Amino acid sequence: MISTPKDRITTPQSAVILINYVLGTGILTLPRTAAQAVKTPDVWISVIIGGLLAMLAGIIMAKLSERYPEKTFYQYSRDIIGKWCGGFISLLIICYFFMASAFQVRSMTAVTDFFLLEGTPSSAIILCFMWVSLFVTVGGINPIARLFEIIFPITIIIFIVIASLSLRIFEVDHLRPVLGLGIMPVLKGVKATTLAFAGPEIMLLLLAFMKHPNKGVKVVVVGIGVTIVFYLVTIILVIGALSIEGVQAITWPTIDLMRSFEIEGLLFERFESLLLTIWIMQMFASYTITFYGAALGLAQLFNKNIHPFLYGLLPIIFIVSMIPKNVNDLFKFGDFIGNSAIYLFGGLPLLFLIISGLKERKA
Amino acid sequence: MNCTSYSRSLLISLIFLGILFLTGCWSSNEIDKLSVYVGVALDTGKVTDIENKLEEQGGRYPKKDLMTSTIQILTPQAAGAANKGGQSKQKPYANISETGDSLFEMIREVSLRTDKPLIGHHLKVVVIGDDLARNNNIEHLLDFFFRDNDIRPSCLVFMSSGRAIETLKSKSPDDVPAFKIAGIADNQYRISKILPPMSLGKLKGEMQSGSSFLLQNVISANGEMKFAGAAVIQGKTKKLLGFLDEQQLNGVIWLTGKGKGGLVKSFDEMMGRLITYEIKSMKSTIHAYVDGNDISFRAVIKSEGRLIENWTAKGAPSKNKFLRRAEKAFEQEVEQMIDEVLKKTQKDMGVDVLGFGNRLRIEHPNTWEKVKRDWDKTFREATVKLEVKLSIEDYGAIIDSSIAAD
Repeated sequence: MISTPKDRITTPQSAVILINYVLGTGILTLPRTAAQAVKTPDVWISVIIGGLLAMLAGIIMAKLSERYPEKTFYQYSRDIIGKWCGGFISLLIICYFFMASAFQVRSMTAVTDFFLLEGTPSSAIILCFMWVSLFVTVGGINPIARLFEIIFPITIIIFIVIASLSLRIFEVDHLRPVLGLGIMPVLKGVKATTLAFAGPEIMLLLLAFMKHPNKGVKVVVVGIGVTIVFYLVTIILVIGALSIEGVQAITWPTIDLMRSFEIEGLLFERFESLLLTIWIMQMFASYTITFYGAALGLAQLFNKNIHPFLYGLLPIIFIVSMIPKNVNDLFKFGDFIGNSAIYLFGGLPLLFLIISGLKERKA
Repeated sequence: MNCTSYSRSLLISLIFLGILFLTGCWSSNEIDKLSVYVGVALDTGKVTDIENKLEEQGGRYPKKDLMTSTIQILTPQAAGAANKGGQSKQKPYANISETGDSLFEMIREVSLRTDKPLIGHHLKVVVIGDDLARNNNIEHLLDFFFRDNDIRPSCLVFMSSGRAIETLKSKSPDDVPAFKIAGIADNQYRISKILPPMSLGKLKGEMQSGSSFLLQNVISANGEMKFAGAAVIQGKTKKLLGFLDEQQLNGVIWLTGKGKGGLVKSFDEMMGRLITYEIKSMKSTIHAYVDGNDISFRAVIKSEGRLIENWTAKGAPSKNKFLRRAEKAFEQEVEQMIDEVLKKTQKDMGVDVLGFGNRLRIEHPNTWEKVKRDWDKTFREATVKLEVKLSIEDYGAIIDSSIAAD
């Protein structure tokens, strides 16, 4: 079903999918969550460490998938630990993707409702968002990849422009001293920053669609590398402008960074809407790929066509996304998803890799 | 054939339907049905005449008269008429005052008095009167501004040593006082008596860090405003502690090296005549030293500039000798200003608003962790050494015989 030749994606396309998936809510909240954990200006070091850890996890997953060409995790997990156990783990991962997609939708609404479209019912925003996404996913992985290829350069260009504009309120003193209180505070922030890099798990599925699955590791290194740069620039600019103490008290620090200056004489004076635009595109990308991941999982688990699952999941995601009652619940929901990502994708793939290696040696 | 024309007409009607729904105006408000407010002044509660009369007729709601907020609204109709050369006597702005305790409530109460509700997207300045700030936590007063989604963190915060409402009034029919205040804050490159602008975003950080800080002071007399010194806010209480005058603020700018332009005025010591130095650049390097329990600082201030006024005319000795003497006179002037502000803030008020704590944090993070809780008190005992070096690079378009006769 997935091995038709047109459903293949190139290596750069896979990297773009990975980048677009990883960049999501993190851009807006990472400076705060990381600053709250670290409490010294060394947050940026935590970001690098977190990124490298995520890269390591991604490489393990890519290596694992490489052993089973043309198969997604949902299919080869049965080969490794048997039908029932594999099915169960697959179900957990499907749940993860499914929850993640509900979370993306909801945080997108929370931000647009506060900063952009106050008064517009959130169901109206969510429904448009979900329908457009459904339209893309029905076409399969290829349209998704091509859409992401359009989103990616727009994000990069706008991000570079607004990031350089915000330099005018940057104060280097806010980022000093480096490692003033030693390495301990940095390590405290690693968990928060690693969570922001959730996304390499897509390699478990993506490799099956790649024209050159042996380039999986390269995709992970490039993809996570680009997101490390993205997050690093964001966090340095936000903390340089708003100070480590200020950032801890701001719900959406990156938007507040853009709202903290006005530039006269340019076409626009205010740039937060540009940031929101690229951020919504990134949220759309993350949502689309998790939604597709969940539906694909169900389809392969029950060996059926993917379309009914795509349509069927739609209302369920909508309902789940409406469950968090307030912003606190929403952040808790996010933490829960992050934690489950650590359990599901931190250790399991390595275990799978070892088991499959042992099995091979026996055979 | 029939089938394609049918589907084509369906497509076209769908496109038209799409256009109808894609206008994206779900919760739109027409701009001419809104009042854009650009400035807010906060003072201690003093119920205005009009409010009194309205209350007499029953316009009351449960509240304490804690503060009076004056909201400056743009009146574009009047501004437009003035632009067209019409003899409009109307000012381009209007001030509405509300007295109460919750800022948000006061702003929403305005909707009972005008058909155009207020929107905060374009709020440029907030001015706080000294009586209010002396007795109230500024963080509480400004909480609404920090939290609101319309108001941007780029809005600037000022203090007034008089009643803040006066700073939002102007004599001239063309000025919008709120814009004028924000505009004067940009004049840092002309004079070194203006603090770097304090936006709400930056202020939030200051509040969180708990350090004492300065806010620019704006005063007004007869509808004319002036930036006059700075207000000292104590980090612990977040209340107003006192004011620095213009000269002291000048000392602050020199010590922190945040100036972008300005002047130093002095008198030649031999002839007692006036000489003036135009600042081209200014740089301050502060180092912190920790020796046991003793904390000391050394500030090195360097500046380059131009001799822009010289009344000594003739009879002065050879050029470099004179320039050295003039530099020395300017240096003494600057040292004196800094000494004065140090005495006032460090010894009299007992606060650090000059960024010494920040240097200690950067250079001795471990010591800082120990003393940061009570830094203002610790700072009182710290010694500050000063070194000022001004160099005159040129003396303008005129070569005085006194300077050139070497």
